[in-house]
Amino acid sequence: MTKPLLDVEDLRVRFHLRTGTVEAVRGVSFQLGRERLGIVGESGSGKSQTGRAILGLTPPPGEVTAKRLAFDGIDLQKASKRTLRTLRGGRISMVMQDPKYSLNPVMTIGEQIIEAYQAHVKAGKAEARDRALAMLEAVKMRDPGRVFSLYPHEVSGGMGQRAMIAMMLVTEPDLLIADEPTSALDVTVSMEVLRILDELVSERGMGLIFISHDLKLVSSFCDRVLVMYAGRVVEELEAKNLRDAQHPYTQGLMRCLPTLANDVRPLPTLNRDPAWAL
Amino acid sequence: MLDIQNLNVVFGTGRLRVDAVKNVSFHVEPGAAYGLVGESGSGKSTVLRAICGLAPITSGRVVVEGKEVTSPRSKAFYRTAQMVFQDPYASLHPRHTVDRTLSEPLAIHGEKDAEARILQALREVGLGPSFRFRYPHQLSGGQRQRIAIARALILRPKVLLLDEPTSALDASVQAEILNLLDDLRRRLGLTYILVSHDLAVVAHLCERLLVMQHGEAVEETTSAALRSGVATNDYTQSLIQASQGFTRVAPQPLQAPAA
Repeated sequence: MTKPLLDVEDLRVRFHLRTGTVEAVRGVSFQLGRERLGIVGESGSGKSQTGRAILGLTPPPGEVTAKRLAFDGIDLQKASKRTLRTLRGGRISMVMQDPKYSLNPVMTIGEQIIEAYQAHVKAGKAEARDRALAMLEAVKMRDPGRVFSLYPHEVSGGMGQRAMIAMMLVTEPDLLIADEPTSALDVTVSMEVLRILDELVSERGMGLIFISHDLKLVSSFCDRVLVMYAGRVVEELEAKNLRDAQHPYTQGLMRCLPTLANDVRPLPTLNRDPAWAL
Repeated sequence: MLDIQNLNVVFGTGRLRVDAVKNVSFHVEPGAAYGLVGESGSGKSTVLRAICGLAPITSGRVVVEGKEVTSPRSKAFYRTAQMVFQDPYASLHPRHTVDRTLSEPLAIHGEKDAEARILQALREVGLGPSFRFRYPHQLSGGQRQRIAIARALILRPKVLLLDEPTSALDASVQAEILNLLDDLRRRLGLTYILVSHDLAVVAHLCERLLVMQHGEAVEETTSAALRSGVATNDYTQSLIQASQGFTRVAPQPLQAPAA
């Protein structure tokens, strides 16, 4: 076993609020190699906060503590802001849920990709432009030259998300954190986006953390899945063995989805055992 | 119960003209549940909004319970058909209590005995009387959607127009709401028109459905056909495939990490 790309041990995210302290993530530990790791859970399970804490993007007044939080041997907790800035967007990138809110509305897509590239790589205008165009082609834009000069409001959701992925991958990161990258997209478009992501991950040998609420999607896309409930990982399993999930929460999540294959009614609902949250 | 013939909905004129719905026709029997499926921009929600008067009917006929609808819709229309919206976080007034939200339709229609009706509506959607004086922010997403359904049911309509009623909810909460809708339809003999992008949800709740793309009806089919994977149309087929989850063309081995 080679050294893991990302090593997380006992990660905790706390929010100190007027009404008391809320612990959103409570002792999450995992190691990530160059693989596709899925983090699944319902809203409020702490899956997004886990992804944000790795990048140091926990919003104030959040507080992050961990026994170990290391990326490729670099201790992210002790690293200076300067080091973090070079890592973020450079070696670790993040794709957010909705391209409508995560792209700059007053810059063309091409300019934004160039900006992301030049922030991390010393490159001339012409070279950056070539890279940006190549990246737009890599995410299967039909007419990269045209998309390059479009503003975010002029493209569809699927195209926006592909532009976002292009921007995040232009610096050739080692780790990509994708937080619900397809939830705002239509099913057929989201399949396309996933296919592109999948190709890029396997071609470049990146590590991928795929955060989603969609258990079915994650199990068909990732190698390994962490199931989170109330800020903890309740179960970790190989994606292909999802059917044999042991934890009642995972089983409940699987069963409560209506499927085309089986017609079950009433649908089994989830009886939340307070013991799961302990 | 509901008959739509050659419905067209056009927004804007000239260069800004958008044909949101083009020549859509379908018919729903009393007590049936009919689904409208498609991707964003396919016009499925616009059909629903045109039925209840939130979008203009440019041409075509919308007949509800044997009567063609008038614009603006009459009070009687809203006693027959009510709508449940997608996002329970946006569709309830944040500064009205549950009690006020539920009593408003009763007041508009001059119904008496509001208190008993409100308590009954809460009971129907599986919430106790303790929820009556809460504000929306004191409720979870699933509870809010139950209140939205209670609000729609309080005038005893015969048709419920459901616009993505579960897509803003978690999977386990979605199951609860789907069970509730299934149960209510059987108990109260309601007719549903359900709009959703999720084929599995539509197949679960409805017997027949219409697949839409770019404002046009692509295929009318039944849930049974959908379940057995029979679809004559390529687009429907691709929707069925996409609903099965991600499929790799050829499984690729993971690359060894760069030294």
